[in-house]
Formats: sequence, C-alpha cells, structure tokens
Amino acid sequence: MLREPQNRISEWALTVWRITALIATLILALLTGGLIVFIILFDWPLWIAVIAVLVLIAFAYFSIYLIPLIRWRRWRYEVREQEIELQHGVLFITRTLVPMVRVQHVDTQQGPLLRKYQLATVTISTAATVHEIPALPIEEAEELRVYISQLARVADEDV
Amino acid sequence: MKMSEPARLHPVTIMLTFLKQLKESLIPFLVIFVLGLRDNGLGFPLGIVLTVLFISSLLLNSFLSWYRFTYRLEDGELRIEYGVFIRKKRYIPFERIQSLDYSENIFHQLFGLVKISVETAGSEGKQAEAVLAAVTKKEAEAIQKIFQEYKRTGAAGADEGLSAEAKEETEIYKMSFQELLIMASTSGGVGVVITAVIAFLSQFDEWIPYEKWTKEFIALAANQIFLVSIFLLLGFLLAWIVAVIGMMLKYAGFTLKKTDKDLIITRGLLEKKQITIPFKRIQGIRISENIIRQPFRLATVHLESAGGSAGESGGSIMIMPLIKKDRIKETLSPHLQDYQFIDEFIPAPRRSLKRYLFRGFVIALPVLTAPVVIFKGWGLLAWLLLPVFLFWFYQKYRDAGWAVNGDQLSLRYRNIVRYTVYMRRRNIQSLSRQATYFQKRKNLATIRASIKSGIGSAGGRVVDLEEKDAAFMYRWFSRTGQKETRERPHGS
Repeated sequence: MLREPQNRISEWALTVWRITALIATLILALLTGGLIVFIILFDWPLWIAVIAVLVLIAFAYFSIYLIPLIRWRRWRYEVREQEIELQHGVLFITRTLVPMVRVQHVDTQQGPLLRKYQLATVTISTAATVHEIPALPIEEAEELRVYISQLARVADEDV
Repeated sequence: MKMSEPARLHPVTIMLTFLKQLKESLIPFLVIFVLGLRDNGLGFPLGIVLTVLFISSLLLNSFLSWYRFTYRLEDGELRIEYGVFIRKKRYIPFERIQSLDYSENIFHQLFGLVKISVETAGSEGKQAEAVLAAVTKKEAEAIQKIFQEYKRTGAAGADEGLSAEAKEETEIYKMSFQELLIMASTSGGVGVVITAVIAFLSQFDEWIPYEKWTKEFIALAANQIFLVSIFLLLGFLLAWIVAVIGMMLKYAGFTLKKTDKDLIITRGLLEKKQITIPFKRIQGIRISENIIRQPFRLATVHLESAGGSAGESGGSIMIMPLIKKDRIKETLSPHLQDYQFIDEFIPAPRRSLKRYLFRGFVIALPVLTAPVVIFKGWGLLAWLLLPVFLFWFYQKYRDAGWAVNGDQLSLRYRNIVRYTVYMRRRNIQSLSRQATYFQKRKNLATIRASIKSGIGSAGGRVVDLEEKDAAFMYRWFSRTGQKETRERPHGS
C-alpha cells in the first residue's frame, strides 16, 4: 500500500464548508417553504410537500454534516523537495503527484469566509493541470507559496 | 536580398485581406443588401449605395493595412510595424521563435507566394505571434535561411542571407494516393460536414420557416416512408462525398520529414501547408484506431506538442494520417528514439470485467428506456441493442492496459476509438491514482496521466487496473517519498 501524505488541512475548513452548506440549505428551505405555500393555496397533493421536506432534510444532513466531515478527513497533502502529493475526494478518492520541476506558478486566494477564519486556498499550476489545496491557515499558505515557488524555480527547458 | 530594409508584403495581400473581411462580414452585409433593396420611398435604391460604400470602405481598409504593414529582419529580431489608425510595432527576437510554418492557398499558388506564420513559445491561444500574409517564395527562403543560420550559430550578425548549406531532410513517411483515399473515406468527417450544414442553415432560421417544413416533412414521412428514407440516404451520401473530397484536398501529398532539430509536415492541395515541430516540444505520442479502421489493422498517429497556437504547430498534430499498425514501430522508432513503440500491455484483471459491463449497462439504461416510455410496446425493441453496449464495454475492458519501460509510461484505453499513448516521465505534468469505495474493496484503481498539449492538456486515463499496478506506476512517477518498494508487481 501507498503511504498517505502527512499533512491535514486546517480544521476550520470544516466550519467554512459547513457555513457554505448552511447557506445553500437555507435557500433550499426557502424554496421548499414557497412550494408548500403553493400546495396549500392550490390544493395540490400533499405527498409533494412530504417529498420536498424529506429532500431538504437529506440535503441538510449530507451537505452540512456528512460530506464536509469525510472531505476533511480525506484531505491530505505533503510538499517534499521534489514533488507535491495530494489526496482528496469523497466518493472518488484521488491521489495526485505533481513533480516540483513541472510547477509553473503558485497562487493563494481568499474568499470572505476564508478570510474571516484566516484561511487561504493554495492553487498550484503546471503547464497542463491545476491543483488546489483548500483552506490552509494563512501563514502556512503564504509560506507554502514562497517555498514552492522557490523550489520550482528551476529552468523549464522543455515544459 | 537585403532583409534589414523595411519591406511590404506582396500586393495580393490587399485582395486576401479584402476577401477575408468580406467573408467575416458576409451576414450583416447580406442583411444590409436585402433590406436596402426594399422600396424606401427615397426614390433611389439605398441597398446599392450602401453596398458600394461598404465594399469600397473594405477595399480602402485592406489597401491601407497593406500599405502600413512592413517587416524586416534586423539585429536578430523580426520587426513588424503595422496598423492603420493606431501604429503598432512588434519586435520578435529570433531566439523566441519556435518555428516558421508555411501555407499557400489558391491565390498564393497562382502568384508563387507563401504565407508565413511565426510561432513562439509564448504564442498561446488561437493566433500565431505574427503572420506574414503573402511573401514571394524567394523572400520566404531568404527569411528561413537567416533564421536557420541564426539558430545554428546563435550569431546575431547572421544577416543578409549568408549562404547556409541546405539543411539535411530525411523523409520519414509519405502517404500514397491509395492510403489517402482510404483515410478520407474512413474518417469521421461526415459528422463534421453534417454539423457544419446544420450550423450554417440555423443562421437563417429567422427567414426560413423550418418549423413549417419540419411539420410537412413529418406528415410526408408518415405517408411516404420509402421516399423519405431514400431522400435521407442520398443526403447522407452527399455529405459523405463532400467530407471525403474535403479530407482528400486537405491531406493530399501528406509528407513527414525530419531535420536534425525538427519534424516537418507538408500537406494539402488547394491550401498547401508546411508545419514545423521542434523535437524538444514533443510531449507524447498517441496512436488512434477508430472502429472502421481497426479491423484492417490501420491506425493514425498524433503528436502532442507543447508550443504554438492551436491547430498549427501546437496541440495534437497528426503526423501519420494512415498507417498499418505493425509498421508504426519500424517507421518511427529510428527517428523518435526517445520513445519505445511497444505493443505489449499489462491488462486489467479479470475481476474488473464485471465493473466494465456494469458501467455499460448503466449507460445503456436511459438510452434504452426512453423509447419504451415514448413508443410503449414497440419501444421494447430498443433493448435488442443492449448487447451492443455490453460488447462495447467488453472491448473497453479488453483494451485497457498499461506498461512502464524505463522512463516511459504507456497507456492503452478505449472511448469509442482505441488510444495508445506513449509518454516520457519528464513530460508528465501530474499523475493521479483514483479509487472509489467499491474499487478499493476489489483492489482496483484508476490511473490518469496528464501531459501538456498546446495550451491545454492531454494524456490518458485507464479505469479499473490492479491496485498494485496503479501503485507501481505511482511509485515509478514519484521522485521521493513513495520510492521504498520498486519491484514489479507481476507480469512482463
């Protein structure tokens, strides 16, 4: 078996993901509420409302509780001198190797939520692919960006 | 020939620019013309006046842009100055130029001219970094000589067309007429033609009552099913013939040559093209066998090239349109020595067959259920197609395979076409191993390798390989960390 990459992403990632999912759930709840109003007004069959509420509950459970948890547990990364290794995925668990010499540039970015929790997303681009490490503590992300771009600063003779 | 003096392009450029602009503005132009023909109560035909104005402004613009466009080779740079209202200068240092690509359409051929596209490493997107729309062949030769001399010696003073010896060219592959015919008639070009016709017709749906026609057509189809089928068949045949002729014109006289640093492709009849691919831009090699050609052991070979603009010397470039599969190795391996054209692959394990067939079933399900829902009873006949889907996925299973030979990773897989991809370790941008819960339970994994191709990515993905094999490839690619065990899992 392959050894797992060593580092986890910030635990606050869970909170950020859950807040995002909560917002989505609230919007869905509003829509469901609207639907129920229609059902009452127009005497539509009641089972539609039952199904809508069940869907809402399932959505809330999966998107707020289960998926962020699995996603966070699964997320691992490791930056070594010559390569970066990532592991992520909920249903499809993907392990990716990116050689340092192939890295073209590294970016960090923050949305409002990430900023609130002092987190940042690190994006690693090669000539052909883009890889993302979500939600690292901002100092760590910054350090990583500098570290990777130093390591990657090798002449790319043939892309 | 003194190339350091600013020179204009050949005057034919005016006509070429004019035609190109006319083509681009054809639809608004037609609208103006047709609308203008209507009686407008002004007492004179506005349409004709507008047309004359429109055409003369295009002509004037074409003339001015030709007049303002000059190029010269000076101080190791290609210097272009152009622009009618805004004057622009573009200086491209020779060392940034990856290749000069040539093409000739009918007008070029009539006047003995050639179009030069200058490709640089940075010219991303669809456009070449610079285009000399029409220069005489003599000038083109002079430019190429200076450029090559510069590349060879690296000297900045290589001006004035120093007598560079003709570089040595070896022919690797030349397509015969018979091959051209087979290639054109077995390609998927029909689809392209039909799509193009539909796209073209849909431009006019404002004016043509398609809906009415469709209704009448359906009414007709109900009565005259035989006539309609013949009509459709003829339409398809026509599209196919157009596609075949188009392909033949495009690929006539296809030749692959090489010099010490580049591969050179020449092709085309009405529009002749010469494309140069520097060896160091090659990222991988892909062999495709489509379902019509595979039974005859025929295949197509593409290169994935890192540089240049899409479709020219960047992206996927066809280097052999049609070749007997067993001749690929002997033809290419003397010239592309970095690659091993192996044909032995470690297959997916027996237990992944079930998963392949299951996926085939899942894909077939909606396709085969829809007719049952729509047509009721007779729709059940669609289920006779189920074996086709299962066979397709059985073939996918059969074709899945991988191999590692030294520094080369080879993947074989099928979508509809069967692909074989050869990649060198140093060209692989990233490698992933993927497994779902169900794959994990059966000790299977999916492997994916990405290489650069033009401005995008290419590569290969093989599903449901032995987990140990996937781990082996993963370790093979890993620089550190995962290196502990490196013995082969099994097989060759």
